[in-house]
Amino acid sequence: MRYAVSHKTTLSYAAPVRLAQFNVRLRPAAWPGQSVSDYSLSVDPRPAAISEGEGSYHVNEARFGLQEPIDRLVIESRFKVEREDAPFFFAEAKGPTLVELREKAMALPDLSALGPASYSFASPIAVPEHEIAVWAAEHLVEGMAVMDAGRTLMEAIHTEFSFDSRATATDTPPIEAFRNRHGVCQDFTHVMIIAARARGIPAAYVSGYLRTIPPAGKARLVGADAMHAWVNLWCGEELGWVGFDPTNNKLADADHIFIGMGRDYSDVAPLDGTFRGSSEQTMHFAVDVAPLD
Amino acid sequence: MSTSPSSRRPVRARGWLDRYSAGPEGGDLYTDAPRWVGERWCAVASELARLGENDAAALQEATSRNAADLGLTFRVTGDEEERAWPVNAMPLVIGADEWAKLERGLVQRADMLEKLAADIYGEQKLVKDGHLPAAVIAGNPFFVRRMIGHPPACGRFLQVYSAELARGPRGQWRILQDRVRLASGIGYTLENRLALSRTTGDLLAASHVRRTAGFFGAMREGMAAACGRERPRVALLTPGRFNQTYAEQAHLARYLGLPLVEGRDLSVLDNRLYVGTIAGPKRVDGIWRWINTDLLDPLAFDARSQIGVANLFEAWTSGGVGMANAPGSEVLESAALAAFMPRLCRLLMDEEPLLPSIATWWCGQASEGATVARRFDDLALLPAFGQPVEGLAGRDPVAGASLTEEERALFAEALRRRPMDYCGQEIVQLSTAPAIIDGEIVPRPFTLRAFVARRADGGWTVMPGGFARLSSSRDLPTTMMGAGDLSADVWVVDEKAAEQHQRTTLQGSPPISRGGGILASQAADNLYWFGRYNQRAELVLRVIRSLLGNSMEGESGPTGGGAVAASLVGLLEYWGAADAGSVGKKLEDVCAQALLSSNLPGSVATLLKRRMDVGMSLRERFARDFWRIVSRPMPPVTVSRPQAMLESARWLGEHFSALSGLVAENMVRSSAWRFLKIGERIERAQAICRMTHDLSAFTGESEDVASGVLLDLCDSQIVYRTRYLTAPMPDPVRDLVLLDPDNPRALAFQIADIATHLQALPSVRDDNVPEAPLRSARALQGELQAALVEDMTRARLRTLEGRLFALSDAISQRYFLQFDREGAERRTRLL
Repeated sequence: MRYAVSHKTTLSYAAPVRLAQFNVRLRPAAWPGQSVSDYSLSVDPRPAAISEGEGSYHVNEARFGLQEPIDRLVIESRFKVEREDAPFFFAEAKGPTLVELREKAMALPDLSALGPASYSFASPIAVPEHEIAVWAAEHLVEGMAVMDAGRTLMEAIHTEFSFDSRATATDTPPIEAFRNRHGVCQDFTHVMIIAARARGIPAAYVSGYLRTIPPAGKARLVGADAMHAWVNLWCGEELGWVGFDPTNNKLADADHIFIGMGRDYSDVAPLDGTFRGSSEQTMHFAVDVAPLD
Repeated sequence: MSTSPSSRRPVRARGWLDRYSAGPEGGDLYTDAPRWVGERWCAVASELARLGENDAAALQEATSRNAADLGLTFRVTGDEEERAWPVNAMPLVIGADEWAKLERGLVQRADMLEKLAADIYGEQKLVKDGHLPAAVIAGNPFFVRRMIGHPPACGRFLQVYSAELARGPRGQWRILQDRVRLASGIGYTLENRLALSRTTGDLLAASHVRRTAGFFGAMREGMAAACGRERPRVALLTPGRFNQTYAEQAHLARYLGLPLVEGRDLSVLDNRLYVGTIAGPKRVDGIWRWINTDLLDPLAFDARSQIGVANLFEAWTSGGVGMANAPGSEVLESAALAAFMPRLCRLLMDEEPLLPSIATWWCGQASEGATVARRFDDLALLPAFGQPVEGLAGRDPVAGASLTEEERALFAEALRRRPMDYCGQEIVQLSTAPAIIDGEIVPRPFTLRAFVARRADGGWTVMPGGFARLSSSRDLPTTMMGAGDLSADVWVVDEKAAEQHQRTTLQGSPPISRGGGILASQAADNLYWFGRYNQRAELVLRVIRSLLGNSMEGESGPTGGGAVAASLVGLLEYWGAADAGSVGKKLEDVCAQALLSSNLPGSVATLLKRRMDVGMSLRERFARDFWRIVSRPMPPVTVSRPQAMLESARWLGEHFSALSGLVAENMVRSSAWRFLKIGERIERAQAICRMTHDLSAFTGESEDVASGVLLDLCDSQIVYRTRYLTAPMPDPVRDLVLLDPDNPRALAFQIADIATHLQALPSVRDDNVPEAPLRSARALQGELQAALVEDMTRARLRTLEGRLFALSDAISQRYFLQFDREGAERRTRLL
């Protein structure tokens, strides 16, 4: 599938703010089965310079600052992307058992942003939660293959949790969403990461998009009008990272456009930064993922 | 407690140590010591006995008092209030030979850790070659991926290293924990030494104890040298006054002469770091950070950080600012990594470790995990990366044998699911050392924290001494001071006096300098508000005293007193020192509230608390005597009897006098002093306007009463009486308290003084045109100089009060980070 993606964010402040500085993480990082072209980032008012770089994990990060006070800022990112479907063998794949997987993950001499070691431990938002570990234990057994474990957790979240875009905010701790069994893709993703890591499965947070218009005869996917998030589980060296989307209870496929991967939301947040001033900030965004074929 | 040499008797008896018996199993620092060191212990003990007149409890009390006098405090995690610092009167005595071995081991370790950091954040050869599992690095919450490929501009990751050491049963020392994140304890070594030297007079010199001052000088020079600029400015970056070790940081900053700064004082421009000062931004060349890497820079690390500086990391990578220690060096601290130390030492140093780590097994490796499971009862269990984990109650080691069956099962299950979160560790049998507990000399298990720093030439120097902690039980002391723990000074002694005079590395005397150094805008702001709260509290107290005096005169007092009292209650309401509608209530009750109520924003108690709040972040600027008075708790006030309340109020009045006396006589006339004074003067000037306004609303007999009260509130009765032979009359009183430029309690005097201070402050303009605050102050001053008492109507007083508010605003605008301060508090995370 080929898509044209546009993502426009508008920030407004009740009173001007000074020295606003931002990190924008919207340019897709390299990912198997996906190729990106014609990426552009425009910012209004235009900053003196935008420095493009890499974030701490597998994510691109652009940084810019505005010397003059602003009360409004528009950030627009556009690109074209060609996305292949997930490898056909994922559907039937099992991967190693949890016991084997843990040993492999600990033994692999790979400290890179794509190595499993970096995603095996607590991270700023995805902190270990006893309740979630207990819940995961009800669903998983040690002899289970990792792909089955991923499917089980994904399905459990999809069944037990209700999607409610008003129930949680960006900074709602995952445990709260877990206790109330509701939230959005970000919450489901964090809960699944915490559950997987509780069993030693390396688990990462993926930020990306979903196609907006469903193919004829199919239902529109949940989360299509905003940025989306899902889980990458490391399933051994052969399978590598496999995407599980608990919001839609399906493996990531040609409908899922990959932007970046980190330990949790904080590593791949599409936008963060600082400013000086005491003003309230409001944000509007518009996402469009249009199929080109 | 100092003694003259002639009064010292030769030591004959072993004194207190005669009766000392150490436990059989763990070894003891005194009983194991070589002959001459043991004799030194005895000499120390018998001199202490002499000083304490053979009363160990009294000696301990004197030492504690000295520690308290030094303003020494600490917080246990979760404490609201600071606690008094528990230092034992008995030092730990270590002989030069034993110490020399330790020194060599510590230097080897520091060198090795430096190489390790360079590999982790460089080539990662150790991981790639399979010597170190990737998870041992990645599992550390302080591992900073962003650091990879950013070698420090000064070439070194570590500037300061400290090690927690344990002495085992056969006198072998081992490293319990490597510490590179925070050198906590380093400041307390200074204070322990000072407290002991006050108690023991010249015992230190007589015992040939090595001095530690040279170490601190060398460390400071080392930090400066790493900045790569002539005479660089190095600042201590603190998380702020709520931090557990803030008191220590403040002491250190003062001792080392480093400005103490917070993130909100700092900003980065073109990859250089600046501190906002009252004289504009000033470059900072290096920082000694006491905050964790993840909080250093909200753009590079945790975006939620409220205490960091945007772009600080970039400034560091570009070489624009030095940092001790380098960001991410905390990765060296985990228990998991300690498990690999012996092998890493051979690999990196091509040497055997001189000072081994305590034996540790990381369960992330299958065979090591199996070892821990097999030897469960012999080992201590602890989190691999210092974070709380399932199955263990805290972060500190727990003896496997101490777990109940149920806990064991839970732990086994947790270990099975996430073995990489756990380490097993050999259980250390700690040596004991003599300590004074409840008036007895008894053995106490101890650990010792040693400190190592780079000199200007880049080589390591070890502090001859350290920070010892005596455990209240046989358990291993936890990483922070526990509730029942004691600290002790560490005396490294030489056999002969001559060896003691090793020259410090300080290179001659420093260049002469005057003045108070830079004054950060934040500190100026706090000084200003310290002055204001202090003055306001004093003013509220004066009104209370006046009301109480009045109420005791009761019905027999001068006619019209009731109306004037009502006016004073109104004033308290205006100041937030009384609830609305207090007029007409019983005066004693109103006064009790105004003194003590913590619900009223303007009560004396609340104002003193606020003064303490801003004072906390100033404490490194205040003399110890000053701080002691400031931090003294509010005295208990008996509210049942007006007479008793009046006495308490008088006592409090003396508190203010004592403070202003210290400010007048002891505080250097720096910009800091000026801001304190400006705050006081503005507050008093506004109050004079308000009080005169309120007390000018009377006619007839009340008018004269009101004039008397005004004189009283403005503390000008004596002058009035010597100048006028009449009872207080409105116009003469008002002239004296408003316009007399020579009366230090008059409005005109306050404003003239403000103008003088403002003029003396540094200017950021090159054109010599006075800045806005000075111009406003001078306009007010001129107006008052030209005014006559009949001009000072109530309307005029209201206008003047309004212009004083404006002057205060102008001062904040110009000198403080007003905009930024507000911003810093609300600096929000986007999205």
